[in-house]
Amino acid sequence: MKLVDLAPTIPWLSLIWLVPLATGTLVAFLPDARRQLIRTLGTLAAAVSCALAVLVTLGYDPGGPRYQFVEQLPWLPGLGASYLLGVDGISLVMLLLNGVVLVAAALLSWNVAGRESSYWALLLLLGAGASAVFVSLDLLILLVCYELTLLPKVLLIGGWGTTRREYAATKLALFMMAGSALLIAGAIALYFGSAMRTFDLRLLGAHALFPAEFQQRWFLPLFLGFGVLAGIVPFHGWAPTGHVAAPTAASMMLAGVMMKLGAYGCLRVAIGVLPAGAAAWLAPLAVVMALGAVLGAALAMAQRDIKFMVAYSSIGHMALALLGFVSGSRTGMTGGVLQLFAHGVLTALLFGVVGRMIYDRTHTRQMAELGGLRQVLPFAALLFTLGGLSSMGIPGFAGFWAEFGVLLGTWERFPALALVAALAVPLTGGYTLLAISRVFFGPLPDALAGVPRLTWQEGVAGAWLATILLAVGLAPGPLTDLVAGGVAPIAEALARVAPVVPLP
Amino acid sequence: MMFQISDVPRLLPELMLAVLALLVLGSDVLERWADDPAARRERGRAAAQLTGIGLGLIWLVTLVQGGLAFTIAPAGAAGPLDALLSLGRNLQAGGAERGALLGAFATDGITVMARLLLIGAALVVALLAGDHLPDAHPAEFFTLLLLATLGMCVMAAAQELIIAFVALECSSIALYVLAGYSARQPAAAEAGMKYLLFGVVSSAVLLYGMSLAYGVTASIGGADGGPPRVNTSFAAIAEAVRVADVAQRGAVMLAVTLMIAGVAYKLALVPFHSWAPDVYQGASPTVAAFLAAASKTAGVFLLVRVLTAAFPDVAGAAGANGFTGWAALLALLALSTLVLGNLAALPQDVTRRLLAYSSISHAGFLALALLPLGGAAPLRDAASAALLYYLVVALIGSLAAFGALAALQAAGVADRLEDLAGLRQRNPLLAAVLTIAIASMAGLPPLAGFTAKFAVFVGAWEAGAAWLVVIALVTTVIALAYYLRVLRPIWMQPADDRPTVSVAPVTAVTLALAALALIALGVLPGPLWQLAQAAVLAR
Repeated sequence: MKLVDLAPTIPWLSLIWLVPLATGTLVAFLPDARRQLIRTLGTLAAAVSCALAVLVTLGYDPGGPRYQFVEQLPWLPGLGASYLLGVDGISLVMLLLNGVVLVAAALLSWNVAGRESSYWALLLLLGAGASAVFVSLDLLILLVCYELTLLPKVLLIGGWGTTRREYAATKLALFMMAGSALLIAGAIALYFGSAMRTFDLRLLGAHALFPAEFQQRWFLPLFLGFGVLAGIVPFHGWAPTGHVAAPTAASMMLAGVMMKLGAYGCLRVAIGVLPAGAAAWLAPLAVVMALGAVLGAALAMAQRDIKFMVAYSSIGHMALALLGFVSGSRTGMTGGVLQLFAHGVLTALLFGVVGRMIYDRTHTRQMAELGGLRQVLPFAALLFTLGGLSSMGIPGFAGFWAEFGVLLGTWERFPALALVAALAVPLTGGYTLLAISRVFFGPLPDALAGVPRLTWQEGVAGAWLATILLAVGLAPGPLTDLVAGGVAPIAEALARVAPVVPLP
Repeated sequence: MMFQISDVPRLLPELMLAVLALLVLGSDVLERWADDPAARRERGRAAAQLTGIGLGLIWLVTLVQGGLAFTIAPAGAAGPLDALLSLGRNLQAGGAERGALLGAFATDGITVMARLLLIGAALVVALLAGDHLPDAHPAEFFTLLLLATLGMCVMAAAQELIIAFVALECSSIALYVLAGYSARQPAAAEAGMKYLLFGVVSSAVLLYGMSLAYGVTASIGGADGGPPRVNTSFAAIAEAVRVADVAQRGAVMLAVTLMIAGVAYKLALVPFHSWAPDVYQGASPTVAAFLAAASKTAGVFLLVRVLTAAFPDVAGAAGANGFTGWAALLALLALSTLVLGNLAALPQDVTRRLLAYSSISHAGFLALALLPLGGAAPLRDAASAALLYYLVVALIGSLAAFGALAALQAAGVADRLEDLAGLRQRNPLLAAVLTIAIASMAGLPPLAGFTAKFAVFVGAWEAGAAWLVVIALVTTVIALAYYLRVLRPIWMQPADDRPTVSVAPVTAVTLALAALALIALGVLPGPLWQLAQAAVLAR
């Protein structure tokens, strides 16, 4: 049942991405010297966009049609593409995630110095592009918005980043562009393959339009095209360097939202439109994802730089989410989407603590040079611990329900792989606890004794993310119901072509 | 077929261009002739302003007369605007007849689009040239610019071999001079010389192809007993090709091949491209912008005319249905251009040279867009619209990018990539324009370049050249690598102690409008798409 009645005359979904876009455009024309105004406007726009996402979620009727708040305008009639928006349960959860992370990223960007107007314009453009992807129901519009996020990411990393930023920015751009090339080929193939000359995902996904052979041929390009951005092994090379080089807010958006764009595309487009193609590739992809989850965790364990550690842990967690998708079961997919949400929030929190609260004060991320920070930054220690516990999948945090669902769903179809993937859980516990003890406990190096206290923006952003992690962890019901409703049609279509054989 | 006085208005834009060229040349006599720099600058400004205003007027006349974007309703109630409206009505009445003039000069929708694009490009170049007045003979510079534009407009309308060749030479000879205009600079002189040598050889090749095509009409006419019906019109060639036997098809294919090769030099398609980097780098930057934008566009229009009007029956295919005809030739040219153009751009260190190679690689996309034009009607019309769309976007993109480089050079910034370092702080507007133009060339949405490329891909895919689309997609990834090499210094490197860059107001407004157009056409591609479709269908 829906909790709020929203006037159908207002284009709510368009507003969600237009508000940050319009603000970003406005900010781009302000002089850098008006930094106070720029920051305030940017943060307000993020907050409004987040509030609109919450409002739309409350106004969504779980018992109603699959896609709601549908908006349609002609865009490129000559090619059969229209500006078509709509949300289902999956989109809503992703929209909420984008709103939540964007607000925190904005708050943690207040200390950016230099070229402020460009920085904020690019950050808001990134947020706007991401939310537009989550609400697009037209494949061409979805691709446009998906690639729209490329340039802001690259410029933010290269222009405001740290370690080897030009290299990292270029690498990310080329990986993404390669993925996009696959996606464009796939989109054109779908356009002609369906014989309907349309990019409408509702039509493309609604019927068994495509012959099985066509589906098997084009599933992999589409899945991998999106999968590059989701950081699937072995196409994850951009992720560690990109995350580490990016300025804090960009790392948060990159790991918290951008990787989710890729995963969302895998689910919505690749699996949603080509279920028979997915059925043929479930097993090999599940193997890759299970190994990726373990590999990501093992690589995180081996890092000495704490930001690299969080970056590799993101790769592992994303692999786990995608494992849920390719388990092909409803439980697994629900867990996968929840994992996207949980990991998005917790990784934003971890990157926020590591990049902004620690690195900007200590100017080192080497765990060997850190220690005892609990004494000077107690709240940061608390936040990192909360994020870490969620990352480990401790009950009571959002991460638990997600990992539980993924492993349960994987067990239904690939019991052995569930066992392999479960190895990632103790590994995650290991590196998280090691990091907490090395960075926050032990003796405080003298050089770090005088670090400044947290600013109010840092405190608010951290508390905001941690509260959401806890709230979802303690009461996962509403979110789980939304997601389960959203994945049901996809899981059903998949089950028709690849039924799960019950275990003996 | 007889030329009537009432046909004169159909040539109005071309006539106006010729008159304006003479006017610019003649009015120079009335200026103050002295050897001091101030007087020289004043003379140059006067010529630039007259050219700019005149071109703006001609562009408006073309827009109204063409009637593609809008038609003015028949006379209604008298209002304050009625005089203006009736002028527009008269223009549209005079330009509406579409059949080719004397069978030699088409004034259909494609001609109108070509005029709008080419005159528009000349207008932008004239506006930018205010900062780049030549050392001597400014009026002649603008006269040559106008004559080149005139030649290009006629080229795009040609339905006959002689007109096509004369128009091509009219534009080429003017461009040879323009490329080497600052003859005191060795690089410019070299550019002019290189362009001339390559151009002359290509003209010879083209002429040889044309003479073969002409010869084919004669032999076919004589074969069925009657007197030889030698004719230079494209329609006659098409008829001759239709009835040609297998042996004659060989001569026809040789003619097509030579003609494509001759025009391919205008487009800088690999392997006819080697003049382009040196000329784009050596010529004055505004001339480079004109070459990259207008000259290439005119070449594409000439190819469209020749291939669709004279050789529709040897179109062939370049996909699963076989690899024959001129479609196969274009596919090979597209392949070599996309691969070599993009790879050769990677190691460039001079900004304009890098953009020259990027411009070469764009010609590969144009060849890809020309591929489906030999297909059946609905496919051909959609592909023609996609081609027109791509031409508009590529033209604006080239003008914005080369125009920004011209503004940088006018401000004294050297031309290596590292000289762009910190441009975001030194001049935010130029940084934004260059970023937008380059992102559009790279095909990043929501800029127009993405939609244009996508439309071209869809057309080529439908024509069966999916393999070529996949290769083109791979090259877009390579292309991003060198486009980022331009963006990197602008955004990611500190300005250090490099001075700020100042831009003349006219240049700033022109470039900002071009960048806005790239955004607007990308966000709302519908109207331009409809315009392109209207142009294709208005035969």
